[in-house]
Amino acid sequence: MNFVLSTPTTALTLAAETFSHYAPLGVLLLMAIGFGVGNLILTSIIGPSRQGETKGIVYESGMDPITSSRRRFNVRFYMVAMTFLIFDVEIVFLYPWAVTFPSLGGTEGDALAPLFVARMLFFLLTSIIAFAYAWRKGVFRYD
Amino acid sequence: MSPQFVISLITIVLIVHVMLLATSYLIMLERKTCAWIQDRIGPNRTGFSFGVLPLKFHFWGLGQPLADGIKMFLKEDYTPPFVERALFLLAPVLVIVPALIGWAVIPWGGYYASEGFTWWAWLPFLGGQTVAPFTVAVTGAPLSIGVIYMLAIGSLAVYGVVVGGYGSANKYAFLGGLRATAQMLSYEIPQGLSVLIIILMMGTATTDVIAVQQSLGDWNIWYQPLLAFIFFTCILAECNRAPFDIAEAEQELVAGYHVEYSSMKFALFFLGEYLHMITGSAFFVLLFLGGWSANPIPGVADLPIVGGLGIVLLKFAIFAGKVTFLVFAMMWIRWTLPRLRFDQLMKLAWRAMIPIALVLLLATGVVIYLDASFWILTAVNAIVFIGAAYLYPKLPSDDGNRRVPLAGSRFSPLLPADGN
Repeated sequence: MNFVLSTPTTALTLAAETFSHYAPLGVLLLMAIGFGVGNLILTSIIGPSRQGETKGIVYESGMDPITSSRRRFNVRFYMVAMTFLIFDVEIVFLYPWAVTFPSLGGTEGDALAPLFVARMLFFLLTSIIAFAYAWRKGVFRYD
Repeated sequence: MSPQFVISLITIVLIVHVMLLATSYLIMLERKTCAWIQDRIGPNRTGFSFGVLPLKFHFWGLGQPLADGIKMFLKEDYTPPFVERALFLLAPVLVIVPALIGWAVIPWGGYYASEGFTWWAWLPFLGGQTVAPFTVAVTGAPLSIGVIYMLAIGSLAVYGVVVGGYGSANKYAFLGGLRATAQMLSYEIPQGLSVLIIILMMGTATTDVIAVQQSLGDWNIWYQPLLAFIFFTCILAECNRAPFDIAEAEQELVAGYHVEYSSMKFALFFLGEYLHMITGSAFFVLLFLGGWSANPIPGVADLPIVGGLGIVLLKFAIFAGKVTFLVFAMMWIRWTLPRLRFDQLMKLAWRAMIPIALVLLLATGVVIYLDASFWILTAVNAIVFIGAAYLYPKLPSDDGNRRVPLAGSRFSPLLPADGN
């Protein structure tokens, strides 16, 4: 096998993104849905099917079910979801910055780069303060 | 019909089949790995004779996945009367669809260059037509948002678990679904931060360019070893794999969110988990292990970026080899480490991995701004690791898993356990 020396800087830039870049994803999505739904239909046709009084009881390790499964649950799951939302939205806002920032940082005398880094540090700082506040308030206590 | 579209379609159709076949054999590899670790032999009897053909040879048990698949289809597909029927039926599809489409942007074969050719004259429609020289990316979809696409599709997996757990109307399933949701949400943040740092280093979110920039041994794992560890841990948690499988902790929750599922509906959950393992490993290989790059030593010769069919297949083999090793490592971890308790699991995400990833993000941003060598990041990783290990015991701690002073409780300091 011929191992040719090549430089990573010669990264190819393909033609501008067109419909044909996204169209295969649609085909893949159709295949995936077809696989899932097809399996559901096939298995309901092929296998045996019998009903029974005892068979229709909720499985609770052989005990008679005590109460409904629609019950209140611990509030900490709600707190996790709220905290997740804050941080995930923050990360989403950072992606465009991450893509454009390296091309700004390298050039000398570019006034945008220090501005970008300062703004992002401030943005991260606000979320770090929020994180520390949540920590002190006991959001991350899972005992 | 641009050449890129045709190559993408061929890649997708081929890889879907490769993945589904690989998944069925990964289940067997899991059983074999488990057996080796526990000093057993594992499945070695099921061949291809099906009890009909007079074959004495057992093919090392390679017929096992086929037998399992047939069994899954022939089992009764039971929908209990108390479930939310629509949600119950929707959940397996919601699990399998993200698992099957997440890998679409993985650059399996780098770039393929053709010098142009003429179709054979006897072909209908195409016969005699000439195709101009072209260069295409051998991937399902060469998107500029590639990495973010993978992350987005990966987070869709949580819906299958939630819907399955809620729709089953079973307490085990509901608790399993809740736990799995909390876990997957929590570990998505450090995973997203890791991806963000890699995008920051590479300056692009296009998957094939990320692979190219890591060729010649510039693997990101050399610059961000701690981050690679965090990311791999997140993958384990996102797949609900041990030691993070409290969602289906057998001793407490029987099977977690799929306790009421049977037959092929259960198999779809199972397949989804293994497909997530492959996709997660491929994501890790792409971001940290150089994709198709053959040489881990910086500055040494590597495979050419653009190549013919032979180079493309070789790159695919290297990529698949790395993915297989990582999947094997996941199984190895599963049968080696004990399961984490729920509070330990959540603390690991929120109190350890997220602060560390935030610090690494800040440090990486500053290093990129100063235009310094990436090797400084290795030192930064080491400093952050030592600093975290030094600081963590000094942080204010609340005693986890407190013994609740309840009268009659086994842990009670108030009364003896059996006292009245």
